[in-house]
Amino acid sequence: MEDKARNVVISIGFIVILLILFLANILKQDQVISITERRKLEQFPEITLKKTIDGEVSKSIEKYAVDQFIVRDTFRGIKSFFSINILRQKDNNGMFEKNGAIYKMEYPLKEENVNKSVDKIKEINEKYLKNMKVYYAIIPDKNYYLKEDEHLKIDYNRLKQIALEKLEHMCYIDIWDDLELNDYYRTDLHWRQENLQKVVKKIQTSMENENIEELNYIKTNIGKFYGTYYGQLGVNVNPDEMYILTNEIIENCKTYNYEKEEIGTIYDKSNSKDKYDIYLSGATPLIYIENPNANDEKELLIFRDSYGSSLAPLLIQNYRKITLIDLRYMSSTLLDNYIEFKNQDVLFLYSTLVLNQNVLK
Amino acid sequence: MIFASITFLFYFLPITLVIYYMVPNKLKNIILLIASLLFYFYGEPKYVWLMISSIIITYIFGILIDKYKKQSKLFLIVSIVTIVGLLMYFKYINFIIENINSIVSNKIHFIYIALPIGISFYIFQMVSYLIDVYRGEAKVQKNILKVAMYISLFPQLIAGPIVRYTTIEEQIEKRNYTIEKFSLGVRRFIIGLGKKVLIADVLGELNTILLGSNETSILYYWLYAISGMLQIYFDFSGYSDMAIGLGKMLGFEFLENFNYPYIATSITDFWRRWHISLSTWFRDYVYIPLGGNKVSNIKWLRNLLIVWILTGLWHGAAWNFVIWGLYFGILLIIEKIFLGKILKKTPKILARIYTLLIVMISFIIFNGDNVTIISQNIGGLFGVNNISFVSKESLYYLKSYFIIILISIIGSTPILKNIASTKKIHKFINCIEPIFLLFILIISTSYIIDGSFSPFLYFRF
Repeated sequence: MEDKARNVVISIGFIVILLILFLANILKQDQVISITERRKLEQFPEITLKKTIDGEVSKSIEKYAVDQFIVRDTFRGIKSFFSINILRQKDNNGMFEKNGAIYKMEYPLKEENVNKSVDKIKEINEKYLKNMKVYYAIIPDKNYYLKEDEHLKIDYNRLKQIALEKLEHMCYIDIWDDLELNDYYRTDLHWRQENLQKVVKKIQTSMENENIEELNYIKTNIGKFYGTYYGQLGVNVNPDEMYILTNEIIENCKTYNYEKEEIGTIYDKSNSKDKYDIYLSGATPLIYIENPNANDEKELLIFRDSYGSSLAPLLIQNYRKITLIDLRYMSSTLLDNYIEFKNQDVLFLYSTLVLNQNVLK
Repeated sequence: MIFASITFLFYFLPITLVIYYMVPNKLKNIILLIASLLFYFYGEPKYVWLMISSIIITYIFGILIDKYKKQSKLFLIVSIVTIVGLLMYFKYINFIIENINSIVSNKIHFIYIALPIGISFYIFQMVSYLIDVYRGEAKVQKNILKVAMYISLFPQLIAGPIVRYTTIEEQIEKRNYTIEKFSLGVRRFIIGLGKKVLIADVLGELNTILLGSNETSILYYWLYAISGMLQIYFDFSGYSDMAIGLGKMLGFEFLENFNYPYIATSITDFWRRWHISLSTWFRDYVYIPLGGNKVSNIKWLRNLLIVWILTGLWHGAAWNFVIWGLYFGILLIIEKIFLGKILKKTPKILARIYTLLIVMISFIIFNGDNVTIISQNIGGLFGVNNISFVSKESLYYLKSYFIIILISIIGSTPILKNIASTKKIHKFINCIEPIFLLFILIISTSYIIDGSFSPFLYFRF
């Protein structure tokens, strides 16, 4: 190619590309949410003089322009492909794909955070749970089960050691050998409810639930599940299939959500953006499940994160009532305003992901 | 607004270019002025008045200096005290208060004030204009809109290069527009965009990870130092490339700001290649007026140290920047006294290693928040405190960022430029260049979309 032709191609090409993308972005209808990223997208801001002078308008427009960019997901996929396959980066924004599953590196172990999280559990135990049967279990994130040694993992042994040392007066239930990689969704951080039988049994046995009946569940496929990680990495992997376990006991249970002040069912079939919200309507500070078919009046308190939502329905057969408390969304100082602490069983059930952050209030 | 953003690339730039090329030549400066003020207002709405006021001050004093020759020195002093005073107030006032507070018992309250974007750049352009008018090296500009356009010209407004009035004096009146110049501008802009987004920001991400880590291995400290050093070069030179490229698209010719500084064979050579517009500014407006090297040895040393302390302070209002400037000042003095002669006789590879080591350590000082961190980061390079050589974490990040580090090392040298300018492959280069540029533009856009807002490292200078 001659110099002149090259100059024409570069100049005209540049202007044409900028103009095409400019017009395409102007004409494109704004999206409200991103399905793949599972979040609300920025909308064009309200323009007022004050907001303009404060710089809020330009900040919002920046976010808006990026969020609403035409074929945004394709561009994110290009970035992911380029960084992983061309630059050979080991992860993209801390995420990576292995054998069709997506992982997020949880690294490093933040001992200070783990200490604070464990201290909070200890504080609640001492303040509210004296003379009660208190158990705790730690749920490993799925990276723990990843055999390859290529990516960075937190020091799981150290995390457990901190918990064991500080919570010596509580009963530890070790469920780490009762799980494996296939028990987690490929596109999400959570575990699969249909694979939790071993975990449930371990917890029931450890908590001395004497009348453990082997219950039969009906496993129902509720469709494709695009997990939290699905859209974050920007690579194409197959979505998961999601199942729920039901039986007569579960179907007859009622839930009460304190935040929404709503009575509901264990499986919330309203179409949430996050399909994992089917379990007890997703993230909420305080909710209880009532089992009208319970054989006795035993109650269970579960201090939990989102993993607990899918596990709790499988424990309800032994209890009249299970109250689930999420201390990420409510302060522990408010607990006795809502809960009468008597002789309930108590289970602290937290994932390594939550313990490694300082999020328990 | 920053160049590596969707709003600039796909809204501001196409609209500005289309309008600019549609209007007749006599309106082009007005269009540029309006675009530049909008560009600044979008990023710094609170302080656009400050820039406009200082433009008015510069314009008025330019005229006074030119018109009243007898009082011109007085007008020059008053004008420089006024506009440099603005810089002092907005950039250094809290640094001054902090230092006063450390020695007196009656504490002065800090002033809650944000540093206006680009103030260090545009104030320096104003000073150069006023001094050049005073010296008779530049004709006074009697059209305030043209003064405003020169100062606020968006390609170089917020992060340089520091364009002297004398460089574009004639271009303000008349510019040449050719397809060749425009395409050179596009090429330069896209390469600068790639340097910023695909290299500097990715290395910045590595640096952020390393900073947040508790790791201590020799490899970690080297990784931190090398990636930091490469990041700052690609960030700043990428910005300068984009500014020069945009200038060309608009018909201007700005001077180069970088010339492969990491192949320098001495610190003296490094500063001829690094942020050229700043070092020549200090040379012409501080060092030479102080007497340069045509004075006694003591005064010459004083002149050098003043210039380098000021250079350090220009980069930021903190002691680490003063130390950074002094570090270079002292090394330059040592090179001028004897080391320079030795380095000339030393094999180039050794001279380059010496320069790179000195520069690498300088950026550890530059990026360090306090003396403890600085000494820890420098000591770590040499295994102080018996740290291990390598750890799993540092090895992971080395593997993960190896290719980008390799690309950036090659990109810091003129190797690719030399290959591309080989006559034998000229036609081939012509064919693949548009594809290569399109590729860089698409990949950079995808990185901008995927990533969050990433301001330039030099954004706050």
